[in-house]
Amino acid sequence: MSPAATRTAAVARAASPLAELARSARIVVCCGSGGVGKTSTAAAVALWAAEAGRRTCVLTIDPARRLAQALGLDLLSNSPRPVTGKGLPAGGPGSLDAMMLDMRRTFDEVIERYARDEEQADRILANRFYQRLSSTLAGTQEYMAMEKLYELHESQRYDLLVVDTPPTRSALDFLDAPDNLNELLDARAFRLLIAPAQRIGRGYLRGLNMATTAMTRMVRRVTGSELLADVGEFFAAFEGMYDGFKERARLVYDQLKHPSTAFVVVATPEEAALREAAFFAGRLAADRMPLGALVVNRVHQSGPVPEVPAAARRRLAAGGADGRLLADLLELHDGLEALAAAERRRVRSLLASVPNLGVVTVPLLADDVHDVQGLRRLGGYLFAEPAAPRKQG
Amino acid sequence: MPSLELLDRARLLVVTGKGGTGKTTVAAALAVAAGLRGRRTLVVEVEGRQGLAGLFGRRFLDHQERRVAERVKGLAVDPEASLREYLGRYGFAPLARLLTWARLTHFITAAAPGLGDVLLVGKVWEASTRAQGGYDLVVLDAPPTGRVVPFLRAPQTVAELARVGPIRHQAEQVRELLDDRERTGVVLACVPEELPVAETLEGVASLRAAALPVASVVANRVTADRLGGRAARLAALAKDPAPLAEAAGRAGAGLDAPALGVLLAEARDRQRQVARERRLLRELRAGVGGLPVVELPFLAGGVGRPEEVRALAGHLAAPEPAPGATGREPRAARAEAGA
Repeated sequence: MSPAATRTAAVARAASPLAELARSARIVVCCGSGGVGKTSTAAAVALWAAEAGRRTCVLTIDPARRLAQALGLDLLSNSPRPVTGKGLPAGGPGSLDAMMLDMRRTFDEVIERYARDEEQADRILANRFYQRLSSTLAGTQEYMAMEKLYELHESQRYDLLVVDTPPTRSALDFLDAPDNLNELLDARAFRLLIAPAQRIGRGYLRGLNMATTAMTRMVRRVTGSELLADVGEFFAAFEGMYDGFKERARLVYDQLKHPSTAFVVVATPEEAALREAAFFAGRLAADRMPLGALVVNRVHQSGPVPEVPAAARRRLAAGGADGRLLADLLELHDGLEALAAAERRRVRSLLASVPNLGVVTVPLLADDVHDVQGLRRLGGYLFAEPAAPRKQG
Repeated sequence: MPSLELLDRARLLVVTGKGGTGKTTVAAALAVAAGLRGRRTLVVEVEGRQGLAGLFGRRFLDHQERRVAERVKGLAVDPEASLREYLGRYGFAPLARLLTWARLTHFITAAAPGLGDVLLVGKVWEASTRAQGGYDLVVLDAPPTGRVVPFLRAPQTVAELARVGPIRHQAEQVRELLDDRERTGVVLACVPEELPVAETLEGVASLRAAALPVASVVANRVTADRLGGRAARLAALAKDPAPLAEAAGRAGAGLDAPALGVLLAEARDRQRQVARERRLLRELRAGVGGLPVVELPFLAGGVGRPEEVRALAGHLAAPEPAPGATGREPRAARAEAGA
């Protein structure tokens, strides 16, 4: 590979598309597969915006509590708290808060909000099926994250909200979550199955009634439990709350689609992560969600070293200790260069499949990001000026 | 070699790990390695991600067990198909038909929390204990570390709600298999980075607390140490590269001072990376209390294709001498780190 090619280690880009987002967006949603540095990216964007003078809050719904480690928060809380880390500026108009979503607590709050009265809320909160539903149903977490996001957005307390999502697969649920949950809560068929007798009086439904009664009996035999009774009670308790839920879900969905929201897809230059990123970008496009930028973390770079002919390499390897060492250094460099080239190819082929996507590449950093200094260093790459030369090493 | 022994003995390997650690790749490589060692193997995915298919050069996998490699079949378990099978097995075939007709299967598996997991675990149990045309080994690409304990224990959880009946009965059989150290082993995929190591240690603790038989950790994407033992010399050369320039000159390598500077800087980065990974792997080994930690090399081309899975399987089927020893680099796998 020519030295010229290695010098342009970063994929060509215009101004960092993140700078515009962090200055003007109201909501930034970071998504991507697991282990690609989403949480750090979200936190670094939030920190940068805060230091640029905006009142900023970063939310994570990741149960692994990674943001906590990055921001020195160690408690699950359901309201934002100021980030207290070493090296944060004391003054200025900007501020940085962070919170980790307590999903269960948020769900409880939603129930309390939409219940007719305290009694209905208590009945639902005490239901065993609800207790399981609220902590185990796929998509619940994402739905609750959106709920919290919307609540904070409505409160106007912040200029910018940055959200960190669970890995891609769930992040897709995150778009579907309002629908899924509503489908579940509004499943008249299921309610029919649970308590058919009281509701269905009319003749033409009697056949269906008998069938569902038979089914209920069989389901009861299979589960051999009060599971169904719990479920039935849950749906009965939920009566009358569907409309509120539906309306809220629609508002949340509309806000996500609004131009003041931006999705940032985060990846690493590995095949699997980029495939997920492409899939996610496609999905966002299909839902006409505002896709802001692609961040590729941990990109390898090699410096300019002229090609050394094979004969010279053989002489080096046959020479003294320093010669052999140099031969090994050259081989190491070849490997790094090949790796960097392969990564650039993979990123380019992803970009070819997603037109007009701004991309930001971040080189492999020597240390894990786990404090404010690390976030600021990461921010330096995320928000780098276009022509910024990359320091080697 | 502990991992090797596990490959030859276990009936069920449950592979978990933090997202991004290559859990699915490790599951695929373990299955191919077992196949290489002559065992009839089934590799199963349960999350509907279609992560295994690409690793075996296929577009997708479904609820049919299909050959994906030498002596290895692959299966993507579908909860709905499992529910129908399950109901059929316990004499509820008419209910299964009715549910399918009413398109309620999806709804029921979604609505009854844990029931989906029960069905998935149930299918894995069925494949592991199948008497006729069965397998020597089933490798399960299980949910990530954070969810694996509730997933594996779902049958019991539901059994606690279901005090009698077939669910209870099956839950007990599943538990017997999962608790049996002789037949079952949980393998955690990890990479030598800070947070994954921390999460692996947490995962091992929670699996042990749930009395599940943790068997091994596979440290994936380990950077090979090509410069081992020459750190002092490199440090000296970084201060004064003259001897290196002389060696280059004698060999006619045509490397000027800036080029040598680049090479030394790259070597320094590499050594830092290796040192950091070594430290993390030491922490990992110390934290897992005697659990074998098997290392797999970083593959420069990434792992997305069957040949790369085979390369990793080769390592697992005939692992490197001692854990912690300086990693030799396979020809096809030039190591460079991902931090």
